[in-house]
Amino acid sequence: MDGVSPLEQYLERCNGQDDISTSPQLFAPMSPYDVDLPIQTTPDAPFASQFNQPKELPPDFSSVDLSFLPDISQDDQDQNPCEGAQDTQKELDGSVSRNEDSGVFLEESGLSEADTTQPCSETSGVCPPLTPMTPVTPVTPASESSGIVPQLQNIVSTVNLACKLDLKNIALHARNAEYNPKRFAAVIMRIREPRTTALIFSSGKMVCTGAKSEEQSRLAARKYARVVQKLGFPAKFLDFKIQNMVGSCDVRFPIRLEGLVLTHQQFSSYEPELFPGLIYRMVKPRIVLLIFVSGKVVLTGAKERSEIYEAFENIYPILKGFKKSS
Amino acid sequence: LPDAHYAQAQLVCAACGCVAAEGLLTTTFGDEEHLREVAFSRSTGQREQRSRSVQRGVKRVQDLCRVLRLPRALEETAVSHAERALPRAAFRRLGLPKKELLGGCCVLASCRQHGWPLTMGTLCSLLYADAELLAGVYRGLRAELRLCVPALGLAELVKTHLNSFRLFQQAADIPAPFVEDKEQTVTRTLQVVELAGDTWLVTGRHPVPIVTAAAFLAWQSLRPAARLACTLARFCRAAGVEVPPPAPLRLKELHDVLLRMAAQLAWLRVLRLDKKTVVKHLGDILQHRVFLLRKAFRTEDEEEEEEDEEEKEEAPLDAPISDSEIEQYLRGREEARAFGKAKAWL
Repeated sequence: MDGVSPLEQYLERCNGQDDISTSPQLFAPMSPYDVDLPIQTTPDAPFASQFNQPKELPPDFSSVDLSFLPDISQDDQDQNPCEGAQDTQKELDGSVSRNEDSGVFLEESGLSEADTTQPCSETSGVCPPLTPMTPVTPVTPASESSGIVPQLQNIVSTVNLACKLDLKNIALHARNAEYNPKRFAAVIMRIREPRTTALIFSSGKMVCTGAKSEEQSRLAARKYARVVQKLGFPAKFLDFKIQNMVGSCDVRFPIRLEGLVLTHQQFSSYEPELFPGLIYRMVKPRIVLLIFVSGKVVLTGAKERSEIYEAFENIYPILKGFKKSS
Repeated sequence: LPDAHYAQAQLVCAACGCVAAEGLLTTTFGDEEHLREVAFSRSTGQREQRSRSVQRGVKRVQDLCRVLRLPRALEETAVSHAERALPRAAFRRLGLPKKELLGGCCVLASCRQHGWPLTMGTLCSLLYADAELLAGVYRGLRAELRLCVPALGLAELVKTHLNSFRLFQQAADIPAPFVEDKEQTVTRTLQVVELAGDTWLVTGRHPVPIVTAAAFLAWQSLRPAARLACTLARFCRAAGVEVPPPAPLRLKELHDVLLRMAAQLAWLRVLRLDKKTVVKHLGDILQHRVFLLRKAFRTEDEEEEEEDEEEKEEAPLDAPISDSEIEQYLRGREEARAFGKAKAWL
């Protein structure tokens, strides 16, 4: 790993978790199981700590001393040598406060661990030493919000019914079920309200897709569990977990994707010969955005709604910089 | 005196310089009997030799470059990508078909980096590959090697693509009025493609159909009298190229753009052009395109603003509001909490 920058290490860790061969699935329109279903464990630990920590911190931010935010690069130069690059990273994301906030949380985690060099590599989403960059969009004031709220389009969740199921039996006695063991080893069940689809496996595990909110997804999953119960199986409702959330919105102006891919090379992939949209892999939060020339944006890969909102607030200033100007 | 002859220790007489004693190969029986041999994998020999699969992969890349008649520099870049990529764990396990694609992707990356307009379509037909599969391998290669690959250069693509058109020389099956000067066609096609880029017809679209439609327009405009009646399909047939499926759509979009721009030129506005006749004035339009684009877009912006205002005025003030309609604007507790959290990030 000599000579590999912290950013590259960080991205390597990100990429190691993605199965490259499944990424085309992003473009398959109606695949019921969107991104990665299996719960990612240890590689996520550095991320998980970043995501969980903000929740554990008191929501009342008066207790957090934010006055040192603008001076962050000077205060900690000796402790965190790559904080200096945080300024350029802020420019890169175009969202000053977000990085500063995350810098706050991660700094605190770093100090509490009494290991000051560690946070630098773990927070490489915040302070990467940058490879030669083409000119970057200017920083927008932190208080400016886009005023656009991404709408959730699909939630994928899993739950464990904790009992072995006889799929043939289920397919036989449930009107809304289809079962084709030669094609796929699960029963596909649908309900009308909330309008969702479930994949029910003989092990008792179930995947629920199509809901437009977390509550709907849970409600739908409970309804499916009820159906299975009524069919005579001792179904429980264990380990309900949202695995993926997909949101979309419209920034209402055309976007120069060719320009965006030039200035955000590390995060973007734009190949018009393959796909009309630009695939932006945001590092923090870890969300994949599909950005189209029309201004429509699709965000996916979130485990929580806040990640979608945060990702959009991160990308909006960047996109504004590529508004049409001819 | 100790004096070494290369790596052999020797004792040399200080006075006459004769070798008094030589260092032995080993000094103790222990050394001779109990030390282990140096394994080949730990010697430098292993690293210097390429594995056979890497050699095969590199040869495939070189063959591809020769078939495509790429310059030496491109071939070297492609080979260096292959040498880096093939030994990697991510690619060593690939089956043979995917390894072929990997070689093709190395060539593609190299072409892009040198500005050589190799399209993925060409590569797919060369390798008899499925585009989806190629896409996956290409993305994997770029991620694994962290390659910075510039976008396909449209200007270069125009020149290369038009090279394959047969309309620049007399031939038995091409009507005389169809033959055109290559330089002029290329220049004008480049201008039309640039115009397409400026008017948002290029972003997100396949490049080749745009070039085909632009070439058709350029060719028509250079001798409208004889060529206006010719369709895109006929043009492609005469030129000896296939009609890419999106090309008619791109052509229509180009016509619309040209008509809108022509409407800004006073002496063309009075002519009431349609999509057939506007081609006659392509030269004029291209000449003044900077000015026309600005004018055309400005009026478009104003129109959009007006539309927004109109919508707001139409909503009546005392229309009955149902509970369910209000509820759709209210955030549920869970959502409010989540959004409050997201706001805190700001």
